[in-house]
Amino acid sequence: MSALAPTVTLARRRFELTTRTPRELFVPLLTPILFAAVIAPALKVALHTGSAYEAFVATGTIGLLIPLNTMFSGLSVIVDRETGAQRELLAAPVPRGLLPLGNLAVALLVTAFQVITLIAVALARGIDFHTDAVGIAWFVAAASAFAVGMYGVAETLAARVPKAEEYIARVPAIAIVPWFLAGSLFPINALPGFLTWFAKFLPLTHGLALVRYGLLRDSSGLHNIWSMGNTTAMAALSLGVVLLFAAALTVVSIRVFTRRALR
Amino acid sequence: MISASRLSKTYPDGTEAVRAVDFEVAPGEVFGLLGPNGAGKSTTIGMLTTTIRPTGGTARLAGFDVAKEPLAARAVSSVVFQEPVVDRSLTGRRNLELHAQLWRVDRREAASRIGELAAVLGVADLLDRAVGSYSGGERRRLELARALVSRPQVLFLDEPTVGLDPRIRAELLEVIAGLRTTSELTILLTTHYLDEAEKLCNRLAIMHAGRIVALDTPAALLARLGREIVELRVPGDPADAIASLRSHGIVDGDGFAVGSTLTLPLHDRSAADAVAAIGDAGVGATSISTRRPTLDDVYLRLTGGRLAEAA
Repeated sequence: MSALAPTVTLARRRFELTTRTPRELFVPLLTPILFAAVIAPALKVALHTGSAYEAFVATGTIGLLIPLNTMFSGLSVIVDRETGAQRELLAAPVPRGLLPLGNLAVALLVTAFQVITLIAVALARGIDFHTDAVGIAWFVAAASAFAVGMYGVAETLAARVPKAEEYIARVPAIAIVPWFLAGSLFPINALPGFLTWFAKFLPLTHGLALVRYGLLRDSSGLHNIWSMGNTTAMAALSLGVVLLFAAALTVVSIRVFTRRALR
Repeated sequence: MISASRLSKTYPDGTEAVRAVDFEVAPGEVFGLLGPNGAGKSTTIGMLTTTIRPTGGTARLAGFDVAKEPLAARAVSSVVFQEPVVDRSLTGRRNLELHAQLWRVDRREAASRIGELAAVLGVADLLDRAVGSYSGGERRRLELARALVSRPQVLFLDEPTVGLDPRIRAELLEVIAGLRTTSELTILLTTHYLDEAEKLCNRLAIMHAGRIVALDTPAALLARLGREIVELRVPGDPADAIASLRSHGIVDGDGFAVGSTLTLPLHDRSAADAVAAIGDAGVGATSISTRRPTLDDVYLRLTGGRLAEAA
């Protein structure tokens, strides 16, 4: 029996619920747009930096937008469990692992919409991106894989915490703290030595380095991580890290969800 | 259609929620699980609907083992949950359509079935409104319609009328009773409303502390207490009163007490004889009356304190 039809049904349901809750679409956009459109240009003026820094911060905010949005999507899993139809879905004759996959499909779609909006706002604000088809492919691959992994984190957390309040309390530590350490506002080698090493293990660091490699054709983030000569090899290695993160967290989230669903 | 054999659930903390229960439910039968909170009813229904993994025994729905073939077992069944389980921001129609799609009902058949069920259950005028605007009774009727869209062979109703006001509860009971007479649906319902169980169920299993302590038709369960019972209130220790009544041969082992009220099945003794004998026994009742036994009495006899045995 094909898993596609029920996955599409579950994703359509999640999409319909999401579109009826505009906060899920727009609230995660507020902070990143503030950074890209207001704070980055202000920092450029205040710190007497050039356009390159403005673009550096604007792309860095993608690393804030993706975790914030995916964590917001995870919150809807708790709402579904507490006051929604999750128990009806668990009683349906479909493999329970498809429920997180249906949610993931919509989280990816919404994240794509938000990232495109953010880039459009940054472009409208006069921030320059220097990219080409290959760069866009690296960017899309890195952003998609990172979003998948972060949604895995969100779904896992949603399955493990009993209340929305507890979930929300953990969001800053998961979505915001790593962003400050992962080279979003400054290169990771500006951090103290041990934090530089720590940053190299964060999937977000690899994701951001790839986003900048893709959108700005700037490989300095990759060099700061790998210190190698071959840029394509470094990009491939970083993409491997992000893909591994995505695959591992997707598997973990499905296992945690299905185990919690069957007491 | 439903069978449970030595079905058990022990949680990791050692709590034995269900202890080796056995029952069979025939096709078209309405079977009730009756018991107080914590008796094991919800755990039993959870195992049958594949959301709780049994730790012992087996259970089958329409021949499918719920542990080994959970998808097949879920495909032939539907559940109406105790709490509201709906997508509130979606319309009633969309909630029903989603059920139909997940249970793989043909789109055209689903549309016709939704219309038919909405009319029968009185929600046709509400279908295009968001479920969040429904009253409790309307939402419960929608959930019942949803469960029936996929034409299940087995319908689980978990405390279907709990929390509803008396009028809506009566209406819903009529609807469920109608299902019983007009379809071949097999229904397993849990409830702690005894009138509901008596009205709807062909057979009842009374659960207590994870075990089935009685299983029979409502009439047969009532017959265990005879045609009439005496109820009296005593001022002192009810255990002493029961002991005194037993020593005078007024009550067998099936008399029981709840608080200061003693309930004594009369079996073959006449009410007048019993009342006179109670007076002679010097129990000192503050009030005394006779009445026909109800399922409440059966239920309390089986799940309440068995002071008659203790005495």
